[in-house]
Amino acid sequence: MMLRWWLSISTLLSSLTIVLVLGFLLQSSWPLIQQQGIAFIIGTEWYPFESLFGMLPALIGTIWAVALALLIALPCGVAAAILCAELLPKPLRGSVRFGMELMAGVPSVVYGLLGMWLLLPLLESQLNLLTGRTLLAAGLLLALMILPTIMVLSEDAIRAVQQSQREAAKNLGIGWDATLWRVLLPQAWPGIRVATLLATGRAMGETVAVMLVVGSIDRIPEPFYNFLQPAQTLTSRIGREMVEASVGSLHWAALLFCGLMLAVVAMGIALLSDRRRMVI
Amino acid sequence: MSLLPIQHRDALSKGMVLLFALPALLIPTTVLCYIFWQAMPVLSLSFVFGSADGIGFGVTEGVFPQLVGSLLLAVMACLIAIPFALATALYHRTYATPRQQRWLNTLFTMLQGIPPIVFGLCGLVVLVNLFAWGVSLLSGAVVLAVVVLPLLVLNTLATLERIPLAYSEAGSALGLGKGAIIWRLWLPRCWLQLLTGLLLAMARALSETAPLMFTATVFSGVVWPDSIFSPVTTLQTHIFYLAQEGNDPLVISIAWGSAAVLVLLVASFGLLARLLQKLGAH
Repeated sequence: MMLRWWLSISTLLSSLTIVLVLGFLLQSSWPLIQQQGIAFIIGTEWYPFESLFGMLPALIGTIWAVALALLIALPCGVAAAILCAELLPKPLRGSVRFGMELMAGVPSVVYGLLGMWLLLPLLESQLNLLTGRTLLAAGLLLALMILPTIMVLSEDAIRAVQQSQREAAKNLGIGWDATLWRVLLPQAWPGIRVATLLATGRAMGETVAVMLVVGSIDRIPEPFYNFLQPAQTLTSRIGREMVEASVGSLHWAALLFCGLMLAVVAMGIALLSDRRRMVI
Repeated sequence: MSLLPIQHRDALSKGMVLLFALPALLIPTTVLCYIFWQAMPVLSLSFVFGSADGIGFGVTEGVFPQLVGSLLLAVMACLIAIPFALATALYHRTYATPRQQRWLNTLFTMLQGIPPIVFGLCGLVVLVNLFAWGVSLLSGAVVLAVVVLPLLVLNTLATLERIPLAYSEAGSALGLGKGAIIWRLWLPRCWLQLLTGLLLAMARALSETAPLMFTATVFSGVVWPDSIFSPVTTLQTHIFYLAQEGNDPLVISIAWGSAAVLVLLVASFGLLARLLQKLGAH
């Protein structure tokens, strides 16, 4: 009986964290919603000192950075997974995977350091930019960070395709490329999709590395597809401005609202990846 | 495509795969080597175990206080999270109805998806300001505990799920209560895997920076925390602050050194976890 009580209460408490987190975020950002409605989400001007809290620049920055990262990391990561699962000899495969798991553990602040002191100078000199702090830099850095996730999970998915399927394809006389496109990838697709969703969530919520390279300028790129301009993401805004905002001010509320948006979208993505996993 | 003979097509697609895969394999390796190459000049025993006495704003030699701060926060976070995680996973496997089990799965998957910085924000609002704990070791540890909680719960669950049902059924048939089944059957069988999960959680806690920025750390002025309400310095935030002090090459090389130490620290926890996993598999 004692055991049951102890387990139930602890479970209840740990389940409540998510409710508490969302509740406190909503409660602390409430003053802003009360005063300005909800329209500031699509506002384009972010000037905290004039009480203008348009979220659109940071939203577009976030979407851009994540999209760039996925665009780079997805083909490379899946190709590496195919290489590892199908083409490499076994001992080599183990060491590649081991290296990837190591990379997955590298703290994000180390990527930030790399971004600032390796990637930015490289971009500046190669692309002839005034400043390397651009959406491209953020996208490249994020791509490097989510690559291990995509690769390790995709490799698991490809490896999970049954050997008999590969043998059947061989017996039918279809070549390696047809086997890859018609047998392996379709069957591994649910796993690759989950990998992509998880990577998206991670890229969206990454803070330290992004805020060091993205430039932190609250402006929608001109024109909006120009990723060679400095920009702002939701996380980099929180990271930069939270220290400056005074407790309880509208600015503070707006930053907490950024956090709330991040949390809600991330929870949605996590739910999506989970739902998919159950269906498979 | 179909005009090509099949061997050529195979070679072509294998070539394409290799072409795309090469950057994915080479760039991470290069990057890892680059970190250690840059860190070479400053890495030494006195760098790791020396302390700067707080005079040079943490930029002079020695990152021992930061190292200790990181470890202290990670250990405290895990100590706070373990009882809750263990109880939640055990409840899931013993008393929960299927409906509750589904809810718990969903809840913790969502919690794991939430970016750490959001927990940092909440910690700032609730712990630092509302509870008036201030920027302190305790605030940081609680925030980190929430960050690693879903990881611990899900890992523990995965471990418990691998215990064959026959085990627990044989236990109940012998008249053992739930408590006895947990203590006598489950824990002796899977403590190694549970330890693996714990080490992974430690590695995760050691690599988080964003949640600590507002809740636990200061750049300088503190060498050793004297109570749980005193702020600390950590390796993660140390690197973060040093990276932005761009004028002095020495400072940057110290940042690289700290990064190398942090990578080694996290990797050693990961390696240990892997080793235990192998041990547990046999």
